[in-house]
Amino acid sequence: MKNHLLVLAALLALAAPARAALSVTAETDRASVPIDGNLYLTVTVSGDSSSVPEPKLPNMQNFNVYDSGRSQSISIINGRIATSVSFTYILTPRFIGVQRIPAISVFNGKEKAVAQEIQVTVTKAGGAQQQPRQAAQPARRPGRAQPGKPAAQQAAQNGAEQIFIKAEPDKRSAYPGEQITLSIKFYTSVPLSSNPQYVPPSFKNLISEDLPPVRNGELELNGLRYAYSEIKTALFGLTSGPAEIRPLTVIAQIPSNEPVDPFDPNFFQNLMAMSGAQGRSREFSTEAIKLDIKALPAGAPADFNGAVGSYAVSASADRSQAKTGEAVNLSVTITGDGNLKAVTAPKLPDLPDFKVFDTMSSLDVRKEGDIISGKKTFTYILVPRTEGRRTIPPVSFPFFDPKTGAYREARTEPVTLIVEKGAEGGKNVYFNPAAAAPGPVTASGSDIRYVTDLSAGAPALPGLAAKANSLPLWAHLPPAVLLALAFWLARFNRFKSANPLLFRFRGARREAFRDIDEAEGLIKTGKTNEAVSVIYDSFMAYLSDKCGEKVGALTMRKAADLIRARFPGVTDAALEEIRELWSALELRHFSPEAAAAEGASDLAKKYSLLIELLEKELRS
Amino acid sequence: MTASALALLLCLAAPAAAAEPPRTAAYDRSELSEFNDLYKNGRYEEALEGYKGVIAQQPANPRALYNAANALFRLNRQGPAILYYSRAFALDPRSTDIRANLDYALRQTGQTLVPDAVPAALHYVYYLLSDTELRAAALLFFWLACLVGAAGFLLDGSPSGKAAGSAAGVFAALLLLSLAWYGARVTTSPFSSAGVVVKAGGARILSGPGDNFKTYASAPEGRLVRILDSTDDNYFEIGLQKEGIKGWALKSEIERL
Repeated sequence: MKNHLLVLAALLALAAPARAALSVTAETDRASVPIDGNLYLTVTVSGDSSSVPEPKLPNMQNFNVYDSGRSQSISIINGRIATSVSFTYILTPRFIGVQRIPAISVFNGKEKAVAQEIQVTVTKAGGAQQQPRQAAQPARRPGRAQPGKPAAQQAAQNGAEQIFIKAEPDKRSAYPGEQITLSIKFYTSVPLSSNPQYVPPSFKNLISEDLPPVRNGELELNGLRYAYSEIKTALFGLTSGPAEIRPLTVIAQIPSNEPVDPFDPNFFQNLMAMSGAQGRSREFSTEAIKLDIKALPAGAPADFNGAVGSYAVSASADRSQAKTGEAVNLSVTITGDGNLKAVTAPKLPDLPDFKVFDTMSSLDVRKEGDIISGKKTFTYILVPRTEGRRTIPPVSFPFFDPKTGAYREARTEPVTLIVEKGAEGGKNVYFNPAAAAPGPVTASGSDIRYVTDLSAGAPALPGLAAKANSLPLWAHLPPAVLLALAFWLARFNRFKSANPLLFRFRGARREAFRDIDEAEGLIKTGKTNEAVSVIYDSFMAYLSDKCGEKVGALTMRKAADLIRARFPGVTDAALEEIRELWSALELRHFSPEAAAAEGASDLAKKYSLLIELLEKELRS
Repeated sequence: MTASALALLLCLAAPAAAAEPPRTAAYDRSELSEFNDLYKNGRYEEALEGYKGVIAQQPANPRALYNAANALFRLNRQGPAILYYSRAFALDPRSTDIRANLDYALRQTGQTLVPDAVPAALHYVYYLLSDTELRAAALLFFWLACLVGAAGFLLDGSPSGKAAGSAAGVFAALLLLSLAWYGARVTTSPFSSAGVVVKAGGARILSGPGDNFKTYASAPEGRLVRILDSTDDNYFEIGLQKEGIKGWALKSEIERL
């Protein structure tokens, strides 16, 4: 922890004013657009590393947003990398008026750049704009609809729905990486208050790419004229097995002519649902669609990396002449139809005359004709080791062509370089001049940390903690019970120490009978004198414990007075019994020759009976 | 009497101390390494399937969760990536890799691991122990407080008893501290009773648990939300503390941490 604080302090102390390497700009192709038109938004992110972050568009309720493609340029000049990626989006407005595209920001984990907010004026649709119809509004053509009857009534008469949505893929089975085009059509026979909001579906075992723009048209179904908007999406299966297009939703504002009853219990809910003057908000959803992703056939080439589509590959170097130790950029470009985002760098053949330093990639995606296509360029940094005429052999790029259902291989032409002997100092290659010169380390980008393989050992503490927590509750009772017992014992011992007479009083009978047992044992072994002594001492101790004073030092009369004073309820008969036993014991105790075995045994019995009697009489 | 009581104490303490030997090799290194090779070669989807297989067998393996989150991040699935990073963080909050990547992923979605007003060092200390470890620490201090306290009562009156009593007091204070720490975490941590929006494109927040209610907000993918109620079959009641928004979202769009 201390080390962390020190490192943090050192970093803060060393931090120099950061150079703004990351930048972002956003622009639209026009400042005004009719409600039935499209708007192109281009967000350009530039940076000085091979990869720049993708912008996260803010939540825009006033536009439907579709990803239209991306174009990337990457340059390496004198070892310095510059990247610029243009992300294009098609925006379809939902409401008339001045609409705002909020500030768009990008963050690479270290730097943040923000593009300025843009304002766009959305105007009413009109023939003057000469735009294709965008909003799904039914045309009002006289003669088609029954005169005097609104479309809603006609729909009800015909048993047709006024508004509905359909989603249909162009195929239900495809290979992983093969494009499936999903067509989503939203039909309406009634005019809407605004353009509907499209909430895209989620997918299982599929990835998606928007295919804008939205197409609009009109058609007649069941004698009713509908306007429709069609959105297409390209889907690519990830792995063989079942895939699913989960339900998608379109939220539309339907004008409502029904007044809100102020006495309706749901008055406020109805009022909110009206959403001001824009009508009632309704959602339309599709059913889930199951797809089957087939396994790729066997017999894939050894260096097949999972590319599916139809591709061509070319290679070129940024120069034809170089010196040993100097960096040469070799670009391998893959062009064609398919999910280029998933295409990985082709493996270079063995190049003993070159040292391969780094690989960067740039991606351009186009969506013309509803087909995902484009090009992906992998730039390898090569440094010639030896001089002479050096050839980079053809680079092969195997892929699976779903149209033919077979594996194919595209190959580049060989690239030849004339390499001259370079200076010794040229053997070091730097891709960032700032890093080559002495000075502080300059971060050129950021990324997540790499996966772990447990080389440092698995953490033991979480496992132990989980085990401890999994013990049942009763397993934790013993220490609590032990604590309670120990507490009670301590309290008892303290009470016992504070009240010795009470415990002697309570324990007198038990002690007396133990002595009787001992005396009887002595009598059996013929030690009658010792037995009488034990009974005598026990009797004196019993009376002392009961009275709380040493009775042996008293005369018989004083002892009797003491007992009577201590226990007023004692009977004369009991006192007489005490005197008799006391006398008998004194006689035999002090005249041992008289203590015959039989007499000692009688004394023990008499003492035993007296104890039982006194236990009843001597109660405090 | 005292000696026999101490012997009993030791007998009771022994099973607790030796309940389970520390398992340092709970996770199979070679298994993760195999999928890491796929990750290294850019085959993120296959690597992810492999990591998920490991997670299915060992749900409390923070390394597998972390690697799965990395694969999801590479596949540009921010919501599930943040979900897996958060789960890994909940299990092993001291891992600098997990912290760094969780923070990185959260920043991509406009969130931060360390709130702006909180010093990073304080945040580190606050999350030094996981919830599981805090509960285990509370149990440990409970056992120690009880056992040492019992020894103190049994040795009542002696200097040893007095020392044991003081030690039991310290353990009791630590028990209260760990319970207070755990309670604070449960009530204030954004990772407690939380969920993550995993649906691409974000989750709709409705004014009630049903499609007949109005959609009045949306939470972007990867957003951490607090789950207030999960008793409905199809909807979570969720709260967005920063925005002061409370509403209902489909359970299919939000995954509980």
